[in-house]
Amino acid sequence: MQKSSDALPPLKRTWWLKHRYFVAYMVREATVLPLLFFAACLIAGMIALLRSDAAWSSWLEFMSAAPVLMLNGLALVASLYHAWTFFQLFPRVMPLRIAGRTLPSQAIVAGQWAGVVLVLLLFVWLFTGGAR
Amino acid sequence: MSTKSIRIKRYLPEQADEAYWQRYEVPVDDSTSLLDALTHIKETLDSSLSYRWSCRMAICGSCGVMVNGMPKLGCKTFLRNYPADIRIEPLAHFPVRRDLMVDMEVFLEHLAAVKPYLIDTAAENTEPYRQTPTQLARYKQFANCINCGLCYSACPQFGLNPEFLGPAAIALAHRYNLDSRDQGKAQRMAELNRHEGVWSCTFVGFCSEVCPKHVDPAAAVNQGKVEAAKHTLIALFKG
Repeated sequence: MQKSSDALPPLKRTWWLKHRYFVAYMVREATVLPLLFFAACLIAGMIALLRSDAAWSSWLEFMSAAPVLMLNGLALVASLYHAWTFFQLFPRVMPLRIAGRTLPSQAIVAGQWAGVVLVLLLFVWLFTGGAR
Repeated sequence: MSTKSIRIKRYLPEQADEAYWQRYEVPVDDSTSLLDALTHIKETLDSSLSYRWSCRMAICGSCGVMVNGMPKLGCKTFLRNYPADIRIEPLAHFPVRRDLMVDMEVFLEHLAAVKPYLIDTAAENTEPYRQTPTQLARYKQFANCINCGLCYSACPQFGLNPEFLGPAAIALAHRYNLDSRDQGKAQRMAELNRHEGVWSCTFVGFCSEVCPKHVDPAAAVNQGKVEAAKHTLIALFKG
């Protein structure tokens, strides 16, 4: 159908380096890389837990190594950054309407951050023995 | 009155195969728009320069060009906001025909593909349509598009794959899908809910940054994804 587009040279692989807006976009998308590492760590942990006590304790030792801590710290920062960008985009994708009125974007963004804080508090409570 | 230097990417297919840069010195004051500067060049410096324009007031959408790598309307761009060196190129991601004039055929094909008009299945209806201000407010923002094509020049997904319907066409489809008078959503979904439809978008969001009418096409495309997903789910259960 697109006869007229045939004449166009394809975009170079480095297109995203041309503009800082595109660089910011690629950083947002690249936050998945440290998260992949974290996910792999979790899966390895579960397998170790199933296998033996020794495997579990060596996994714990692996997780407390400095480079692993640094990578997982990076994963935490990356996921918070991704959340920050995602929360800003959310009201544009799912504009919420209550009784015919569109909810202001700031309210939706604030609501999402409140959700993050709630989940954090829940985990702090769980890890400090609140469930016992 | 001071002067500013403008570099324009020239392309004259009957003279040379390659495009080249040409520099012009233009007089500027606080009210000089880029379109004024191009007109000055055409009228007093170099009559061979080709560019499109019509209304001079950001409503016709004809004078889109790249200004220092950003898609802009010439009439809405003021030289006072730019340093001495200004680079003007034809809109990115479109085939160049001559100087600053691009071939927008692909864009027009994509616009037509989404049936951007009211589809009323009760065709014999002769009553005037009624619409409340609340119903109007649902789509009004997306109805402000002037088809200038700046969003296509901003969209890397369209640059990588010109088969992608693109921001303006999808925003327009969404505008009609949200219209209380329209019944053509099912027909448009066939076009929107495919890889070259809404699913080619990765929400880079630059289309909405450059839109001169604040349509926010990125929002329209991604709201379209929600609608397309719903459409698929409903079709799945209906069998």
